[in-house]
Amino acid sequence: MAALFVLGIIMATIINLDNIVAGLESKVEVTVYLKKGTTQGDIETVYNRINSWEGIVEVEFISKEEALENWRKEMGSKSYLLDGYNEENNPLPDTFRIKVERPEYVENIVTNARKLSAVDQVRYSADVVRAIMSIAGTTRLIGLSIVVLLSVMSVIIINNTIKLTVYSRRREINIMKYIGATDWYIRWPFLIEGMVLGLFGAVLAGGAVAGLYAILLEKANDMESILSIFGLLPMKDIMYPVLLVFALIGCLIGISASMLSIRKHLKV
Amino acid sequence: MIEMKNVSKLYGNVRALKDVNVTVGNGEFVFIVGASGAGKSTFIKLLLKEIEPTSGQIIVNNTDLSLMKRKHIPYYRRNLGVVFQDFRLLPDKTVYDNVAFAMEIVEASGKEIRRQVPAVLSLVGLASKANAYPHELSGGEQQRTSLARALVNNPSILIADEPTGNLDPATAREIMKIINVINHRGTTVIMATHAKEIVNAMKKRVITFRKGMIVSDQDKGEYFGEV
Repeated sequence: MAALFVLGIIMATIINLDNIVAGLESKVEVTVYLKKGTTQGDIETVYNRINSWEGIVEVEFISKEEALENWRKEMGSKSYLLDGYNEENNPLPDTFRIKVERPEYVENIVTNARKLSAVDQVRYSADVVRAIMSIAGTTRLIGLSIVVLLSVMSVIIINNTIKLTVYSRRREINIMKYIGATDWYIRWPFLIEGMVLGLFGAVLAGGAVAGLYAILLEKANDMESILSIFGLLPMKDIMYPVLLVFALIGCLIGISASMLSIRKHLKV
Repeated sequence: MIEMKNVSKLYGNVRALKDVNVTVGNGEFVFIVGASGAGKSTFIKLLLKEIEPTSGQIIVNNTDLSLMKRKHIPYYRRNLGVVFQDFRLLPDKTVYDNVAFAMEIVEASGKEIRRQVPAVLSLVGLASKANAYPHELSGGEQQRTSLARALVNNPSILIADEPTGNLDPATAREIMKIINVINHRGTTVIMATHAKEIVNAMKKRVITFRKGMIVSDQDKGEYFGEV
């Protein structure tokens, strides 16, 4: 049960991290600034070239006029500070904002963009991209290994519990074998016991995980808390897969543990 | 009908049985005698298909045991009643339930169980003790319960491994009377023992084992123990 509880916490973490990672991955962007005095024709050429590359989701063109307008909006009440700028002396460049399918494509896109003559600068957050990729990979890897390890532990624990029951009933099993009981007739009560043990553990662990997650959610909703920046998934998104996996693993662990513990007593 | 042809059994390098040839007809009563380690238990275990012979053939009721699949063993054993020296009753079940248990295992109907269990309990003289637990019974009563359990599914063969080994002579004679009655009803009886008084009083066929081999096989035989 403890094993499943830890497993549940890990699952909740992984599901949330996956969600964050998926969110960030969809936001992978490369920004391409064009040189001043670029003609409409150059802009079209760059646009078509970018679209021909691999991993492009969307290419958005933001003209320098739009950029200035956006800046004004962002400044809000202090937009009078930008009043000195107009179409003639606009300091902002024309820009392409490129949405990239996956972080792996970013490097090629950046290299290619830098080669274009009309391009002045290419900006992207290399560190963030790399961090995202490594977080996504390692959480899945670590999570999976811990889950495997804990499942093996649970099998051993339930196996020992069932072994005790089987041992205390070994005379009965022996007699049943001599009278002519089939292996399955002897086996199924133990399998059900193992399954119930597994499910019981799963329910307890599920409850514990749900409780813990409820506390986390409450903290996350409190805007002053550090957790609020993570944007945790709602309870049902976590508990539905967790409980499903728990029930499956619980049953499976219980059944396989029972099969293991009863095996040698059937050889009569 | 039980037939053993050239049956040998080795445990590692230790020979438990060597070239055993024996035929037991339907309805016979056969004592298997010999000292400890002579091969009696191996003989019984081979009949129960608890172990396999190293070589040779065992045929019971026209079935070759070496060709029998593992999943068919339970169905084969339902045709055999087994009684042990240590009774092997379930301590938390009454006499009635211990016997009924044997019928539940072979998936008999409740109606059959309610009809058959009292009948077999009165055959062994335990009708009045149906609700007693094993620890409330004498050794003889426990062995009768065990006999009732062995008989309740109407086996064609009763295999008894030292059934009187834990009983005093008077109680042992009572048990033998019941086994004799069972034999007269047509059940083949194979009984392993080293109780020579019982063997000699019964005047039945006696097969004597020594060092894993059959050294004598006599109708109305006698056993004088190991010299």
